Amino acid sequence: MNTPVIATNALTKRYGPHAALTDVTLDIPAGRIVGLVGPNGAGKSTLLALAAGLIRPTAGTIDVLGNRPAADAAQLARVGFVAQDTPVYAQLTVADHLRLGEKLNPRWDAKLADERLRQTGLDPAKKAGRLSGGQKAQLALTLAAAKRPDLMIFDEPVAALDPLARRSFLQSLMEFVADMDVSVLLSSHLIADVERVCDHLVILAESRVQVAGEIDDLTAAHHRIVGPRGALDQLPPGVDVVAADHTDRQTTLIVHNTAGAPLDLPGAEPIGLEDMVLTYLHRAEGLAAPILQETAR
Amino acid sequence: MIWLTWRQMRAQTLWTAAVLAAAAAYILYLAWDVRDAYRTLVTECTTACDEAAHFLDDRFGMTLTLLGLLLLAGLAVFGAFWGAPLVTRELEAGTHRLAWNQSVTRTRWLTAKLAVAGGAGVLLAGSVTLLLTWAVSPLDDLADSRFHPIEFVTRNLAPFGYAVLAFTLGLAIGALTRRTLAAMALTLLVFLGFQLVMGGFVRPLYAEPVTETITMAEANTVGYIDGLTLDDSGATVMGYTIPGAWVVSDEMPVRMADGTAFTADDADDCRAVNVPPDECLSQKDAAFDVVYQPADRYWRFQWTEFAIALGLSALLTGAAYWRLRRGLN
Repeated sequence: MNTPVIATNALTKRYGPHAALTDVTLDIPAGRIVGLVGPNGAGKSTLLALAAGLIRPTAGTIDVLGNRPAADAAQLARVGFVAQDTPVYAQLTVADHLRLGEKLNPRWDAKLADERLRQTGLDPAKKAGRLSGGQKAQLALTLAAAKRPDLMIFDEPVAALDPLARRSFLQSLMEFVADMDVSVLLSSHLIADVERVCDHLVILAESRVQVAGEIDDLTAAHHRIVGPRGALDQLPPGVDVVAADHTDRQTTLIVHNTAGAPLDLPGAEPIGLEDMVLTYLHRAEGLAAPILQETAR
Repeated sequence: MIWLTWRQMRAQTLWTAAVLAAAAAYILYLAWDVRDAYRTLVTECTTACDEAAHFLDDRFGMTLTLLGLLLLAGLAVFGAFWGAPLVTRELEAGTHRLAWNQSVTRTRWLTAKLAVAGGAGVLLAGSVTLLLTWAVSPLDDLADSRFHPIEFVTRNLAPFGYAVLAFTLGLAIGALTRRTLAAMALTLLVFLGFQLVMGGFVRPLYAEPVTETITMAEANTVGYIDGLTLDDSGATVMGYTIPGAWVVSDEMPVRMADGTAFTADDADDCRAVNVPPDECLSQKDAAFDVVYQPADRYWRFQWTEFAIALGLSALLTGAAYWRLRRGLN
């Protein structure tokens, strides 16, 4: 599993004059649970649809597990995709869905599917159209998992779910990821979910990638620095300012230390994942970050 | 994939089959009725046997026309309700994102849908038209008007071609518009419009029509004159029927058989004497030219119509594949 699960180069997707993704270059290693965060309309769904091969790029390239997305049946078998609002066939029963999964996927794991059905308490005879949002999501997850893919892609799987269903969905997700040798890419605008589940992060805003990396590395490399006005004008090489706020007497910075060596500056303190994400999102929108002084929400 | 397609189409197929079974029951009843009337009026005819065709036409003409129109409408509806939603319903429900992420390429997905839904639909529609062709064959034989616009497209081969065309038209319009309702409406309109264009403008071009001079003397043995006008400018045959053939000309000026003009004086002569006009014209050795497609071209025309429908269907199917493989950007 040395091939990156997703490698893009200057990936761009435009819908008419509107740019949904601009110049995205990413290299996501295998074996991670990757969180893709960003506000609505940032291009998350577009990136995931490109990875699943549902749409084609306007420019640039994307390789998933070393191949073009949806290139052939073998490639399709290696990628499981659960679309936003987890579509299922309303007229078909839960058992019918498992049957279609079995018929359409050569690597189908019937034992896993039955097991998960029992765990989630889905009634096999029930029509999928009558399932609740949480049950539909569980069914879609079961279908995607039992096909035994190498990469699973989830587009906002929990956005439409109530807190309880969300929790149990993420719980099942983590359980079988632990059991299976699978990489996961999921999008969400709920940073708390990402923090709970993921170990790798891609922040997307205004159609561009703001930052990407292992969550632990990212949080270790981002700091809030407070100092007297003028004292922070000179920073060591490799330390990028993400956001800055000046008052008459003092300056507050959020910095990303890309140098590798630990940051040795007086007044530097680590910031949490949520603050870091919000800082990037605000920067992308051209707003001052309200979290420079304290957490906004 | 075949299983999934069948599972999705099951309810719809059963509905359609029920409607068609009712239609078939009626056609069977009609077949019995037609044969009964035919036996009384033709086979065991005792009086006014020459009028049998008339009687039968009075009794069944309207029914046949209505059935023909219903069959055409049925084909259009087949395209709209089977062809158009085939892809759009999945797109609107978002289930294509489920289907396209199983280990099955979109090409195979569409092929299975096409083969199962299209095949079943065309067989069902085709068997109903074959049943109709058989049921009314005594009347058709008697009327001998196989090129009649409605009769031509609702008997034998042509309806098979049109069933395939209606289905692929719905499919292609659906794949391009991606909206079920719009695709259904467009399919109905385009298919019926296409019928008018084919019958009115394209079908006459399949073969160069024959022009033949008919003398008034033989006019009512070769075929029969539908109407004849005599006025100050001369005489005109208003419609001429040749059994089994497709007469293209509708107004045929009468002239002398030797090529000289039929003058106003000649017309006055015929109006003055107390004999039927066509008898008078025949005494004057008048003639007219009729342009028509001979009866023995019927099967050539059927095959041409069938081939055109299949050719267009192939193009439409290609367009649908192309659209889906490109991704729904």
